[in-house]
Amino acid sequence: MNWPSRLASVTGRVAVRLVPAARRDWAEAIWAEAHEVPAGWPRLAWRAGGLGLIAKEGQMARRIGIVTLFAGAAGAAAWGAWPGSPVSHGAALQGGILITLALLAGLPLLTRWWLGPPDSRAARCLRAGFFAAVLVLLPVQAIIGLFVGLVPRSGINRHTFDIAIGSGIPGSSSGGPNWGGEIWILIFTACSLAVVLALTARRTPVAPATLVIAAGAGMVLGIVMYAVAPVGLNFRYPYRPWLHGSAAEAVGVLAWILVFSVPLIAGAIAGRRCHVPDDPDEASVARAWQGVAAGVVSSGVGAVFVTVFGSSTTALLVKSALVRDWFYHGQHVTASAVYGRELYASQNVQGYFILLIGFPIIGVILGVFGAAVANPTPRLPDGGGPRRPPDPPGPELLPTPPDRLRSTSPSSPG
Amino acid sequence: MGSRSEFSPQTLAVLVALGEQPSAWQHGYALAQLTGLKSGTLYPILIRLADRGLVEACWQEDPAPGRPRRHLYRLTPDGLASAAVAAEPIKAERAAAQLRPGESLRRGRRVAAPVVP
Repeated sequence: MNWPSRLASVTGRVAVRLVPAARRDWAEAIWAEAHEVPAGWPRLAWRAGGLGLIAKEGQMARRIGIVTLFAGAAGAAAWGAWPGSPVSHGAALQGGILITLALLAGLPLLTRWWLGPPDSRAARCLRAGFFAAVLVLLPVQAIIGLFVGLVPRSGINRHTFDIAIGSGIPGSSSGGPNWGGEIWILIFTACSLAVVLALTARRTPVAPATLVIAAGAGMVLGIVMYAVAPVGLNFRYPYRPWLHGSAAEAVGVLAWILVFSVPLIAGAIAGRRCHVPDDPDEASVARAWQGVAAGVVSSGVGAVFVTVFGSSTTALLVKSALVRDWFYHGQHVTASAVYGRELYASQNVQGYFILLIGFPIIGVILGVFGAAVANPTPRLPDGGGPRRPPDPPGPELLPTPPDRLRSTSPSSPG
Repeated sequence: MGSRSEFSPQTLAVLVALGEQPSAWQHGYALAQLTGLKSGTLYPILIRLADRGLVEACWQEDPAPGRPRRHLYRLTPDGLASAAVAAEPIKAERAAAQLRPGESLRRGRRVAAPVVP
């Protein structure tokens, strides 16, 4: 055997492992058949065809594309977020960026081994959306952190800074993330990523329809929340440049209603749509899963949406004069007033993290409640619940009255 | 105007080649020689045909000494019916073009093709 054929043989044996198990027989078949082909170029050509088959069946083009896309996006995010030399807390930021990227790259592999890969388009889209959100937030948070930490040298801006942030060395960068803050953010990112990966894995009993319903509902919640809080979250002094007067109040009320109704409705719809086993106990568990998933995903998507868009808007305000002009168009505000607003907005961006933590908790509770309320445990005759074995023939019994009614029966005293 | 076949010319060639000896198991290399297809074209076709239940595959039980087991293929009853239907236009085309036996028009050039019984 000459060296090209030997090389091709070894390459093929390794490459066969890349093919999914269901197709591996075919890859091995083409490799075994190569022994019947005359040695030399014909055999090499045969094996080259085999490698083409392996590349195609192993979906290598898609995998390479995904890895390349992720690497490019991660590189761009890291480049945008990487702290410059004047930043005193650069080491913490650099560590945070590297660990975040390592989590994004490593946790999916761990989840894949444990719970399987995502097996639906909805699951893949949800994962991709979450990854994109994290990668966008990296540079955006860095821009905002740098702005908040940069102490003006003098003038009214310095006065505004002292009121808003506190005193610092003029021209220096102070405050911003420290190791403690970075560690908490990393723990939160890891937990959120783990939840998203688990809910979208093959071996988790969450239906694709549940993910679609919840993500759609979450987008509605996120859009309304963004309309209410486009540049940071401040309950006491909310800033909504495009909403005025009663419209602002109405949308604010709508946002509050949606915070609680979206996970509830998503859980109810998901619980009703899912196919449950005949066993009532298993059915309850299946519905609870759909409720948890619908609640977490709908609330989480809403929170992530408003966090990403709100933080990005704030970062653009800080960074781009064009966006500032558009944002404050028609308003007579001085440069120092603009600085003050940007400073407050940058501080208020931290408020989005309250939503990121609080919304999923609300979502779990209301999602399960919604799924349970929409599909009570079957106790009613036909038409009142999901699949139930028919009752044995016999006289129809009156339903047993509840305890509170029994106590008011004529025989009872009082 | 004849209806367009659901199979590509290459797939038709594979079906016809397998239909020559319906009961016999055939090897990939033999099919490649019969159809003139390269391995990178032949095997995806066999995979699709197997997915559609037209071809069944198995591993050779007693391989030659020092050789790996070979993968074997033959038509299922459905595949046999499809091969019979697929062979009709080829016969007609061949008759119309008055080709010599053993040749067929494929993608505008003459290539070796199995003799359709």
